[in-house]
Amino acid sequence: MVFSSLIFLFMFLPVTLALYYITPRKFRNLTLFIVDLIFYSWGEPMLVLLMLVSVLLNYFAAILIGVTRKQGKHGVETKKNRIIPKIIFIVAIILNLGLLGFFKYAGFIGETLNFVMPFLNIPILQVSLPIGISFYTFQTMSYTIDVYRNTVKVQKNIITFGTYVSLFPQLIAGPIVRYSDVAEQLMNRRENLQQFTDGVKLFLIGLAKKVLVANEMGNLWDSIRESGASSGALGAWVGIIAYTFQIYFDFSGYSDMAIGLGKMFGFDFMKNFDYPYISKSITEFWRRWHISLGTWFREYVYIPLGGNRKGLGRQIINMSVVWFLTGLWHGASWTFILWGVYFGFLLALEKTFLLKLLKKAPAFITHLYSLILIVFGWVLFYFEDMGEMGVFLSRMFGSDGFMMTGDVTYKVLSYVPILVMAALVSTPLFATIYHKIKSKPVLLVIDNVGCVLSLGLCTASLISSSYNPFLYFKF
Amino acid sequence: MKRKKFFLYLPTWIFCAFIFTFMIRLIVLPKESFSEKEKRSLAEFPELNTETLLNGNFQNNLDTYLSDHFPAREFFVGLNADYNLLSGRNGENGIFLGSDGYLFPSPTQQTEDFLKNAGFIKEYADESDIPVYMTLIPSSGFINNDKLPVLHKEYHDQDMINEFKNVVADSVIFTDVTETFRQKSADQLYYKTDHHWTSKGAYECYRLLSETMGYSPVTESSFDKVTVKDFYGTSYSKGALWFVTPDEIELWSNREQPQDSVTVEIKDGSDAKQNNSYFFRDQLENMDKYPVFLDGNHSFVRVTNTNAPEGKLIVVKDSYGHCIVPFLSQNYREIVMVDLRYYKKPVSQLAEEEAADAVLILYSIDNMATDPNLSFLE
Repeated sequence: MVFSSLIFLFMFLPVTLALYYITPRKFRNLTLFIVDLIFYSWGEPMLVLLMLVSVLLNYFAAILIGVTRKQGKHGVETKKNRIIPKIIFIVAIILNLGLLGFFKYAGFIGETLNFVMPFLNIPILQVSLPIGISFYTFQTMSYTIDVYRNTVKVQKNIITFGTYVSLFPQLIAGPIVRYSDVAEQLMNRRENLQQFTDGVKLFLIGLAKKVLVANEMGNLWDSIRESGASSGALGAWVGIIAYTFQIYFDFSGYSDMAIGLGKMFGFDFMKNFDYPYISKSITEFWRRWHISLGTWFREYVYIPLGGNRKGLGRQIINMSVVWFLTGLWHGASWTFILWGVYFGFLLALEKTFLLKLLKKAPAFITHLYSLILIVFGWVLFYFEDMGEMGVFLSRMFGSDGFMMTGDVTYKVLSYVPILVMAALVSTPLFATIYHKIKSKPVLLVIDNVGCVLSLGLCTASLISSSYNPFLYFKF
Repeated sequence: MKRKKFFLYLPTWIFCAFIFTFMIRLIVLPKESFSEKEKRSLAEFPELNTETLLNGNFQNNLDTYLSDHFPAREFFVGLNADYNLLSGRNGENGIFLGSDGYLFPSPTQQTEDFLKNAGFIKEYADESDIPVYMTLIPSSGFINNDKLPVLHKEYHDQDMINEFKNVVADSVIFTDVTETFRQKSADQLYYKTDHHWTSKGAYECYRLLSETMGYSPVTESSFDKVTVKDFYGTSYSKGALWFVTPDEIELWSNREQPQDSVTVEIKDGSDAKQNNSYFFRDQLENMDKYPVFLDGNHSFVRVTNTNAPEGKLIVVKDSYGHCIVPFLSQNYREIVMVDLRYYKKPVSQLAEEEAADAVLILYSIDNMATDPNLSFLE
């Protein structure tokens, strides 16, 4: 079930809110866990079992790690009783990655092996990708790793742990919430009206981002792509810029909705996007884009590998590993790996010398530098077929002429107002103005008119069109 | 103090009121089974059992069901259309709002079928023993190009008609109406809220056809025109711009024609009915009043006018034909009108059985580009 659907907004959400708030506080996690499972199984009736396997696996692994660690005399850890937890930990991680690997990467690995060594002739598995598996696997792993490192307490209540893993607001497309960040909230949280109201506002902002901007940008991008050569270089650039907006508004809109919904149930999740398109370097871009994923990789891959503490050479290697994996996480295909490596390479360049130069350059140069590289990144990200990517890239550089011809011109011009709006909303402009307003009545009017508009227009758009695919379902 | 707090949390109250009200109304309100504006049956409540739940069919169909039966659905669809228009995307839903309240369907796209159909017609005409006349009716947006909004898709009707003519030129007697239609576009040859031509548009075509088909057309002044108000056509339903004003529909009758000279026999499979007028007035009760002409789409219609000169014409047509046949009927005692979307027997056989004098193929450019049934001409 996606948030921007009638069934979610006008069936699932009201029923869930009502059930949640009539449940006595003690049992609210149980209510949440049950609705989470319904939410997940709505789209994937069978694969909900896989998620439950993941829950059980990590739940018991953590308990075993906790129990075996305490076996030493007087609770003191000895060398001997460090081995058993370590083995359990390694097995758990292998099983986690194994599940993810099987369901997400089996086909890809098989195809790659067949390509490199055709004589192997491995049969290719056709497994459908379980929704959100990349997100919940990373969440459960954060828990098991932290338990092993002894930075969080073992969660003995399986309902509480299950609620954490399957929490519907962030189950499908993040943010990736680390267990340590919400452990306290899972057990003791006090929902309140102020938080709920903040949640409503954030949810409606996210809904509008998704329905009113991302979907329309996707529409523009699709028709430009389908118009082929008649778009010319200009049209191709407008198209990829539309996609640049689509992916940002789609993903950050979803994150806003997730965080907003979390607040309605008393949770505070971390911010996932911070105006990434105003970045002045690629390094800054990745501090502002999908923050929870970057944090996860830094915490559980980059720093354990030694981070930047073992000299520049080692740091570059560590970055390569992280960016290879970041690319791979986004999808089981070499083009995603290429995309990850592309950013890894740019970041390494910036780290070694470019960042120093950029600091001296005027702001508009650094903005332009970052934006162009980001937009190119999205070309790599979008096309799964290298041939199509090549055709599109050469079109961007004028292989089909510069100007748009035919109906693409109409399409692009009629989308200019929305493109301008998207560009403005990608910057903190409106937020800054909003926070400068001191008059309470004016704020009240803005808030409430905004809510009504978002609700009305999004509902209208959802009813009017069945065009509603969520981009981040793929990952 | 309490009031102040209420306002502070107002977004919460608005949000909850909205989602809960619509949920309750969705559940409680009686459901319509047919939408007149969309001319289609609305989704039924999806079948619920273990199998449909596990394969996801129930879930997928439930969303369609909710969308089809959403309370105030028309209001929301209209809101979305208004928003698209205001934010610069006129024509996003396939209908352009032009000046003077004109609604224009998106241009017809050149398709493979279009020239393939030309080929079928040529083949048929080459084999035919009687003359085959033909015309293609351009779209409203092409003819009324001066009323199109500044930003619009390009209408290629003239290029398409020329290409079509090139294929069929040696085999059929083709009448191109575009030039005359463009010149007379100020006379409202097309409805504003519908894709069809008006009686005036059909009459102009009738006059042009007379030049090739060789009959003498009845003058416009011989007709009494009855005006019917509040006609909301297909473009209105599709465009969802509810503020647009309705059309008027004109019924033209030749005042010199005796009352009982006309018989219209309709055959649809085994169903048959008869009428003594070209106009089926009970259709005027509906929102879409165009079917008042010869009762809309039927497989086989025979129109006899005992007051007309001897002659038998077969008309192969789409719905544009319903409005012009009453005019042609002034000059042909008998007209057999078939619609290849429903009539599946060879037209050559029909022409032979009926011993017809001529065949007229009359299609709108849009249907010619999309109709896959022209192969039934044979």
